[in-house]
Amino acid sequence: MAVQCWLDSLKATKKTALIQDGKRKVHYLFSDGKEMAEEYDIKTDELIVRKSRVKNALGAQRQWEIEVGEPGPSISGAQESQLIKENSSNPVFVRKDTKTCFQWRIRNLPYPKEVYSLSVEQTERCCIVRTTNKKYFKKFSIPDLDRSQLPLDSSAFSFAHANNTLIISYQKPKEILLLEQELLRELKKMKATSDGEVDCKTQ
Amino acid sequence: MAAQMATTKVPEVRDITRIERIGAHSHIRGLGLDDALEPRQVSQGMVGQLASRRAAGLILEMIKEGHIAGRAVLIAGQPGTGKTAIAMGIAQSLGPDTPFTALAGSEIYSLEMSKTEALSQAFRKAIGVRIKEETEIIEGEVVEIQIDRPATGTGSKVGKLTLKTTEMETIYDLGSKMIESLSKERVQAGDVITIDKATGKINKLGRSFTRARDYDAMGAQTQFVQCPEGELQKRKEVVHTVSLHEIDVINSRTQGFLALFSGDTGEIKSEVREQINAKVSEWREEGKAEIIPGVLFIDEVHMLDMECFSFLNRALESDLSPVLIMATNRGITRIRGTNYQSPHGIPLDLLDRLLIIATSPYTEKETRQILKIRCEEEDVELSEEAHTVLTRIGLETSLRYAIQLISTAGLVCRKRRGTEVQVEDIKRVYSLFLDESRSSQYMKEYQDSFLFNETKGSQMDTS
Repeated sequence: MAVQCWLDSLKATKKTALIQDGKRKVHYLFSDGKEMAEEYDIKTDELIVRKSRVKNALGAQRQWEIEVGEPGPSISGAQESQLIKENSSNPVFVRKDTKTCFQWRIRNLPYPKEVYSLSVEQTERCCIVRTTNKKYFKKFSIPDLDRSQLPLDSSAFSFAHANNTLIISYQKPKEILLLEQELLRELKKMKATSDGEVDCKTQ
Repeated sequence: MAAQMATTKVPEVRDITRIERIGAHSHIRGLGLDDALEPRQVSQGMVGQLASRRAAGLILEMIKEGHIAGRAVLIAGQPGTGKTAIAMGIAQSLGPDTPFTALAGSEIYSLEMSKTEALSQAFRKAIGVRIKEETEIIEGEVVEIQIDRPATGTGSKVGKLTLKTTEMETIYDLGSKMIESLSKERVQAGDVITIDKATGKINKLGRSFTRARDYDAMGAQTQFVQCPEGELQKRKEVVHTVSLHEIDVINSRTQGFLALFSGDTGEIKSEVREQINAKVSEWREEGKAEIIPGVLFIDEVHMLDMECFSFLNRALESDLSPVLIMATNRGITRIRGTNYQSPHGIPLDLLDRLLIIATSPYTEKETRQILKIRCEEEDVELSEEAHTVLTRIGLETSLRYAIQLISTAGLVCRKRRGTEVQVEDIKRVYSLFLDESRSSQYMKEYQDSFLFNETKGSQMDTS
C-alpha cells in the first residue's frame, strides 16, 4: 500500500538526528539526492518544521522549500534586496499542524469571515481559498496525502477567522495518524546526539 | 494631452540609446551579406573586403547549422584591414542565443591560472546548452507603481508595486535594481508584466483590456491582453542557454558556506568536466537539452606559445568543441616558445587544420566609405573637402589614424563653434597628433637627445 511505501522509503534514507533547543532535528537524504529536514518538539512530539530541497537540473542547490512551519529569515541578503520581495503587509501563508489536524494559518487577512470561501479541486488534488473581494487567492495541496496517495475529502475541511487570521483545518485520516506514530517510534529509536559536533552521515 | 506626452517622451528615448559607448567596431551590425550570401558593397557597417566577407558568410552558415564541431578559421591580413570587424560581424549575425566568446591571445597569461586551463575555460564558454528549467515568476497586471526618491537626493530609491490577477492583489517592495529596470521598461499602471523572481528580468506582455479605452496615449504596436488568472506567483518552465563553463562552475564549487564567497572559480578538475560531459550527452539523448556549438574568437593569435598550439590541436578534435576563429596580423615570424619560424607564427601542423581567410588593404573608395560610416557613428559632420583630405591621410598613414582624427577634429570644430569639420580642423589635428611614420621619423632625428640613447644599436625585442 502507498502509505507503507512512503514509510519504507523514509526508513531507507540516510538519517541524522540531533537534539537542540528542545527540538529533535532530523535530516533525511533520499537516494535521488533530495534532502528533507524535520523538527519535532521533544515534549509534545508535534511537528514544528518540515522542509525539503532538491538540486536543479544543472546541479546547483535550490532554496529550501518549506512545507510546515515558519519561513526563516532570508539568508541571501544583498543580492535579493536589490530585486523584489513581498511587502510585509501582505497575507502570510503558514502551515502549522496539530496532533489531529493539518492546519494552515493565513495571517494579515483583515476581511470579515463571509468573504472567504474554500473549495476542493479533486482533479488537481488541491484546495483553493478565494475571497469575494478578489484580494486573496491561494491554491495549496497537502503533500502528506499525495505521498500516501490518500483521497482528498472536502468534508474534513473547516475554517475559522479571528485576529486577522484565517485558520483552515483538515482532519488527519487514520492512515496518516498511524504513519506518524510509526515514524515517531522509529525516530525515537535513533541515537540522537545532543548538540555540539555531529557525525553527519548524510553529508 | 497626447501632444504633450509626445514632447516629453523624446529625451527619454535619447537617454536610453546613448547609454552604449562608441567603440572601435560599434558601427558593425553584421557581415552585410544578402540571402544568397553574396556580399553587398556597403552594408551593415561593412565596406569592401568582398571575398573575405563571403568566406566568413560560408563559415557563419556552417556555425548556424551547428553540425560541424571543431573547425578552425584563421583571418590573416595587414593591420587595419578589418579582421576584428569581420569577427564582430560574425558575432553580430549569430544573434544573442549563440555563444560568442572573444579573447585576446595575451589574455591567457594569467598568474592565477595555467594557460591550458584558461584555454579550456574559453572553449567551454563557447559551447551553449539549451535546457529547460523551472523558475518562479510573478505574472500580473500593474495596479499602481510608486517610487519614492529620498528627500536628500542621495541614497537608494524605494518603491512599491501593486500587482493583481483576476483573483488577488499583492503589494511588493522594490529594490533599487528593480526600480531601475521598471523605469527602463517604462512600466506603468495597466501593463501586464511578468517578473522572473530570481533574476529580476521584466517582460512586458501588453496592456490590460480593462485599460483599452485610454486609447490616445499609446502607439500602434501596443497589444491588449487579458488580466492573468489565479495566483500571482507561478512556476514556469523556461528554456535558457547556459554555457558548459557555467555548469562546470556550479558543480565544482564547494557547497554551502564557501559558495557565498564565489566569483573566483580557480581551476576546475578534469573529473568534474568529464562528469558534466557525460551528463550533458545523457540529457541530449533523453531530449532534455540541446547543444549549441558557438564561436571562440582568439585575436592576436601569434601571442599564443607552442604549448597552447599543441593544446589547440588536441582540443579541436573533441566532439564538444566550438568553431574557433583566430586572427593575426603577422607574416612569417618566430613561433612563441620555440626558435622556429613559421607563417603567422603558427606551427604548420595547426595551420594545416585551418581554413584561412585573407583580408587585403582597402582602396581609396572603400577608405572614403568607412570614414563616412565612422563620422555618422561618432556624430561628426564632415565637409566634402575635409572628407577628401581625411581619405588621403587614411591612405598614406593608416585607416586607424584617420579614424582617430575624426573625433578630435570634431572637437576642434565644436570649439570654434563650427557645425561642419573643415580642412583647417583636419590640418590642425594633423599637426597636433603625430601618426606612426612621422613619429618614427621624429625619433630618428632626435634620438640622441632622448634618455638611454647610449644603448645604440641594440633593438627592442618585440615578438
